[in-house]
Amino acid sequence: MNTQRYRWLKLAERWGQWTENALLFVLLTGLILLACSQIFLRNIFSMGFLWTDGVIRLAVLWLGLVGGIAASRDRKQIAIDVITRVFPVKVKRITDIIVHVFTAGITGLLAWYSLRFVQDSYVFGETLLSGWPAWIFQLILPIGFAAICFRYILRTLREFIGSDL
Amino acid sequence: MILTGLLLVVFMLLGAPLFSVIAAGAMLGFYRAEIDLSVMAIEFFGLSEMPILVAIPLFTFAGFVLSESKSPQRLVRLSNALLGWLPGGLAIISLASCALFTAFTGASGVTIIALGALLYPALCEAGYEERFNLGLITTSGSLGLLFAPSLPLILYGIISGVSINDLFLAGIIPGLFMLVLLAGYSFWKNRHVRKLTKVSGREVIAAIRESIWELPLPVVVLGGIYSGYFAVSEAAAVTALYVIFVEMIVLREIPWRELPRIMRESMVLVGAILMILGVSLASTNYMIDAGVPERLFAVIESYVAGQASFLFALLIFLLILGAILDIFSAIILVVPLILPIASQYGVHPVHLGIVFLATMELGYLTPPVGLNLFISSFRFERSITEIFRATFPFFVLLLMSVIIIAYWPALSLVLLD
Repeated sequence: MNTQRYRWLKLAERWGQWTENALLFVLLTGLILLACSQIFLRNIFSMGFLWTDGVIRLAVLWLGLVGGIAASRDRKQIAIDVITRVFPVKVKRITDIIVHVFTAGITGLLAWYSLRFVQDSYVFGETLLSGWPAWIFQLILPIGFAAICFRYILRTLREFIGSDL
Repeated sequence: MILTGLLLVVFMLLGAPLFSVIAAGAMLGFYRAEIDLSVMAIEFFGLSEMPILVAIPLFTFAGFVLSESKSPQRLVRLSNALLGWLPGGLAIISLASCALFTAFTGASGVTIIALGALLYPALCEAGYEERFNLGLITTSGSLGLLFAPSLPLILYGIISGVSINDLFLAGIIPGLFMLVLLAGYSFWKNRHVRKLTKVSGREVIAAIRESIWELPLPVVVLGGIYSGYFAVSEAAAVTALYVIFVEMIVLREIPWRELPRIMRESMVLVGAILMILGVSLASTNYMIDAGVPERLFAVIESYVAGQASFLFALLIFLLILGAILDIFSAIILVVPLILPIASQYGVHPVHLGIVFLATMELGYLTPPVGLNLFISSFRFERSITEIFRATFPFFVLLLMSVIIIAYWPALSLVLLD
């Protein structure tokens, strides 16, 4: 029954994961091609584009955040787990809930203040890469932190409702 | 202040993601200093202003592709053809090929899985003692850390602002020193093992022909970096493209449909590292503004006089750090704090980097969190205690070499300028 009830969530999760994979694929492939073509152009034709450096650096930031979202989904965020590894199951469940709530809170705050940062950048009309509005590139910050926050909220709820969620 | 600090430590020990703990600490600090918390986003966005950072995703991806292909098998075959005639040769092959592989795959434990699984049965079959083999393979899993283009070296360069090329040069002699020390021990320990392969010109040629596509990789990457033809980030881009070209187009060992999975897996690791790096940009800035390094130095200065005792204290501290924290987080968190202190004691930042990484290498072998112990225990189905006992002689040797590297700076610095 529960499976039925949370079907929309399962669908959203599948789409979410697909989007992560697609973004990682596009960003990383683009990064490799762009970085290589830059070497090629510079050494063979002694030319290059001013914007490629900037695009490459922004792509790394995006990779970091999308990778961070993916790491949260795959439970691969770097954490110290030596102590909790020896906890009894019941105790571990409680400490897990505490830690998930804490992480959700912190990433929620990060998402909120990143949004304010992007808003300011929008209002002041900041630009990057010779003329593009900076907020487009900065938008990944609130989105990334919000997605990670969502992950930890979901994980907290799962502890109460069960793994169907 | 102390109470909230303790609370954060508790969260960290309970397994909260490190980046969230660091972010929480930085936000608390900025909040107390009445600085708008949007500064967190501004600092995190600073990740896009670090040109060398691009080397991290590119090398990580290339390493993941290499370990999914059959290049570990080819590497072992080639080194066996070249060195199999030597007493203790197979052990030395294991050390050397693991070091090379680790340098390229970034010490994420993948060496033990990719190469150890091949070498362990081969060592047992060649008559080496089982416990020795377990220890050797477990130790080899992190041996190449000091060689270019290892990820921890690059990360240290990014965090400390030291030239990465200098670090690559500085790592050569200490890295070889560790390698030679372990090889000498393996040679001496197995001098009675006499099941040797004969040198066969035909096998050497066959092995070279088989690895013909991978052989240029270390030459191009290392030659390109050391000669100054490539910047590190460019070498990373070339490596990534070349590895895709060879393993997927020429040799076709990895099907194209696997590519998105490999990309995701490697970028999950990159994401986890960059999340910590991003929030650390904020926390480090806060700590420097608040004068934490100076205060830390004042405290340390009252206990530790002189460079020699500072290095001693540093080694103890790093050993403990390496036992509880992974190498990437340790570099990001600790280097900005100890770098100014070390320079007050007259320690060269490049030397500090080599000492830092060499000591953290030991952290892979120390309980409770030594990554290599866990991977070996999982891979070879032995208890952690058994693996640790097997690793112990190697651990002692590496500890000796770390002490020598720390107190003999010329070892790291002689190749510079």
